[in-house]
Amino acid sequence: MNPAAEFLRQSAEKSADLDHRKIIRWNIGHYDTAVAKGRTRYADWEAARERCAAIKHEAVDNMDRLLLEFEQKILARGGHVFWAENAQEARQYIRDLVVERGVKRIVKSKSMVTEEIHLNTALENLGCDVVETDLGEYIVQLRNEPPYHIVTPAMHLTRTQIADLFREKLDGVSSDDPNELVNAARCKLRAAFFAADMGISGANFLVADAGLVAISTNEGNARLSTALPKIHVVVTGIEKVIPRLRDLGVLWPVLASVGTGQPITTYSTLIGGPKTADEIDGPEEFHVVLLDNGRSELLADLEQRDALRCIRCGACLNACPVYKNIGGHTYKTTYQGPIGSVLTPHLRGHDFDHLSYASSLCGNCTSVCPVKIDLHHHLLQNRRNSVEADQRPWNERLAFRFWRWMMMSATRFSAFSKLGKTGLRVAKKLGIDPLTPWTTYRAAPAIPQKSFREIWKKGNGHV
Amino acid sequence: MLPRIALFIPCFVDQLCPQVGVDMARVLRNIGCEICFPDDQTCCGQPAFNSGYWDDARAVARRFLRVFDKAECVVGPSGSCVTMVRKFYPDLLGSLEGDGLQTVGKAEPKLGAASAAAELGHVLSKFYEFSEFLTNVARVDDLGASFPHRVTFHDSCHALRELGIKQGPRRLLEKVKGLELVEMPHAEECCGFGGTFALKYGMISAAMGETKSENARSTGAEFVTSIDPSCLMHLEGVLRKKQSPVKTIHLATILASDSNSAGAQP
Amino acid sequence: MSSSRERILGRLSSALQQKSAPLTHQPRQIFPPVGDLAERFASECKSNYTECVFTASSAETQRAICEILSSLGDGDVFVEDVPELRARVNSGRKLIWSSQQPAPESSIASITGVEALVAATGSLLVTSQCGGRGGTVVAPVHIAVANRSQLVPDIEAALELAEREGLPQKNSFVGIITGCSRTADIEKLLVIGAHGPKRLVVIIEG
Repeated sequence: MNPAAEFLRQSAEKSADLDHRKIIRWNIGHYDTAVAKGRTRYADWEAARERCAAIKHEAVDNMDRLLLEFEQKILARGGHVFWAENAQEARQYIRDLVVERGVKRIVKSKSMVTEEIHLNTALENLGCDVVETDLGEYIVQLRNEPPYHIVTPAMHLTRTQIADLFREKLDGVSSDDPNELVNAARCKLRAAFFAADMGISGANFLVADAGLVAISTNEGNARLSTALPKIHVVVTGIEKVIPRLRDLGVLWPVLASVGTGQPITTYSTLIGGPKTADEIDGPEEFHVVLLDNGRSELLADLEQRDALRCIRCGACLNACPVYKNIGGHTYKTTYQGPIGSVLTPHLRGHDFDHLSYASSLCGNCTSVCPVKIDLHHHLLQNRRNSVEADQRPWNERLAFRFWRWMMMSATRFSAFSKLGKTGLRVAKKLGIDPLTPWTTYRAAPAIPQKSFREIWKKGNGHV
Repeated sequence: MLPRIALFIPCFVDQLCPQVGVDMARVLRNIGCEICFPDDQTCCGQPAFNSGYWDDARAVARRFLRVFDKAECVVGPSGSCVTMVRKFYPDLLGSLEGDGLQTVGKAEPKLGAASAAAELGHVLSKFYEFSEFLTNVARVDDLGASFPHRVTFHDSCHALRELGIKQGPRRLLEKVKGLELVEMPHAEECCGFGGTFALKYGMISAAMGETKSENARSTGAEFVTSIDPSCLMHLEGVLRKKQSPVKTIHLATILASDSNSAGAQP
Repeated sequence: MSSSRERILGRLSSALQQKSAPLTHQPRQIFPPVGDLAERFASECKSNYTECVFTASSAETQRAICEILSSLGDGDVFVEDVPELRARVNSGRKLIWSSQQPAPESSIASITGVEALVAATGSLLVTSQCGGRGGTVVAPVHIAVANRSQLVPDIEAALELAEREGLPQKNSFVGIITGCSRTADIEKLLVIGAHGPKRLVVIIEG
């Protein structure tokens, strides 16, 4: 089944699933409360958004120069930088590294880019043991599922479901108390950290002027993944680069504020290279894989270039009423929610245009985005791009051709409307319902006898 | 001195809920406006625009502006349609002249294009949504209306996020005799209509409508009102299907109600 | 033959021939004033599950450290090997100094200094000097020993300090730590103690 048809089927199924609706509303309700509380720390939240948007705007518009500055600094401190045009090149580089160094055990801190390039499977095929260390990622890894949400990967699961899973896979679980569950995961994963040959992380930001990779977690898993193993590999999109270290003074708080409602993420880490000669611990090798995979094409799209500002905070997912009803898995893409719907046609082509249509264009996403991406307008532009690339079904094209012809004349509009209404009355008498796209889900509207223009005409301008 | 008003009656209001237009016209007349109805109007072009058929939308949009060319002030009972004109015509049309205009995108504006855009902007500024005309132009809050019922207000998306309409309709409702205005939880959350989205993704649309209906019902309100008849048509359909006691009603109908009128008719 | 790097940079440069319309913003104050640094730090610690102890002298600090260590069970304690901590850490138990080895997995507590304290968020600025990369994250209990003079107002000030002191150039790791490790991945319920320390104590002397 093609992606659009599969999406239609699955979204209908999920929207009708009242248990799913309840869990997601519950989780997002918590998020909303936490974010509202966190907002009180700001004297001027709009000023924060504007500043973050300006920083990322500058970063996007100077991406080539900033990436070169970043690369130069990393190389000067003994790190390696690899530029990957696509997923296959990125995977190959890391696979070669794994093979050459005899890596067997890998710990990963959360990275959506590694999902994008399907890295885990490639490494497992080499015989490596790859363990996700972010708790949410660890949970979905155990369930053999993709992440449900870019920030909270296991948001669709209840504590009971997680407890059952852990009882099956881990020791020391006897209840569904979250404290006990987290402790069980901690024990299991602690051993993995200390035994690992390689740590793979993503990056929240790449700081150009200081040549640093910025990684944020609450759990401390990125700290351990980048302190203990001998090799640290960062896999990142090229759009993560920012101009200055000082910019993190507002980007870090804002990311935490819209991501989880916190003042700042617990462990906000900056890494500039492998351990120096006089440091007592740390990786001996440091690699940064810079991934393009369609981002340079999006940069060339002047209208939608601002989508590259995205800091992957998840705010738009939580704000989206469509996401709340269909959940993250239904999208079948690495990036879900509004940003996912905007980006995916650019990264993966017209097969994913339908995501831009699966929106009421309410604009809540745009209003919450901390870097002021014009998300809902981009969905409209994606729809236009789909039409211009001749991707629409023939009956839809025909319908709009007819619509245009009809609307270019008031006489035609009135005549066809009257015809349509008569047709509906006849159909009703015959027991046919031609309005099933409407009436499957809603009661049919009462069709008035007279139109406004008829009432106006009849009343000679008096109503 | 109130301007002479040309009524903008959206295509679906004309055919499916003309009473909304009738009520709006009545209210405008009652406050002393001279009104006319350019009957050559058809549609603002939004359905095609929303579906990505911008060439088709453009043709209909240019025609729409020609229909209202002589009008001094245009008022319509729909946040989404007025948004189309004021907020999306600039992207769609670029300027008043020329055909086949490429969408400029967010590039640095060229000199000529900037002034042509300004000219278009001036033309578009005469279009108003009904409640914002009352509060911002006519500057009236109290229409002398009477509607003794408990009512909750749904903030429609275009009106809220594109036109910045939030307090205006509430001020108008507060002045209605006997009306008890209650706020529903998540009043700003989308009702799920979204134009062709309602037909293409009916189940998601209905789920969103159910959530909105539930939020409205939780206030104990008898009526949910809005400035957007499309939202209300969708919600009415959901409410009736669920056999809910809550009814929908357009703001214009409430404001046109007095102690003589029968009351609710969507 | 061009490499991926050249091709990517080529595409980026060519895309950037088209410049976006400038996005200006009026600089306005984003955060309210921080107020008294020590007071603010202490109140933030309450919110982020950090224990905050004020001491007046090195003797008091030493006593505070002893008290905390005696509340823990048996096990090794890892300490950053600097004169300030040599002078203040003097409990009966076995100490592992950072000059001997990095923080071992078995350590039940680690004691380090900090580069700065951030008042607005109740955070610590640390580097790989502070007991290595592991010193501030491996042990389940982290005791950070600081001086009142190390307080700075906010994150931006901390980063400016880091730049001034050349910390990113001298250290391969620089970090900001705010509270102890935590997760809300299960039903959005906050659980303290994930992979990093379950308990963080900050002693502020002076």
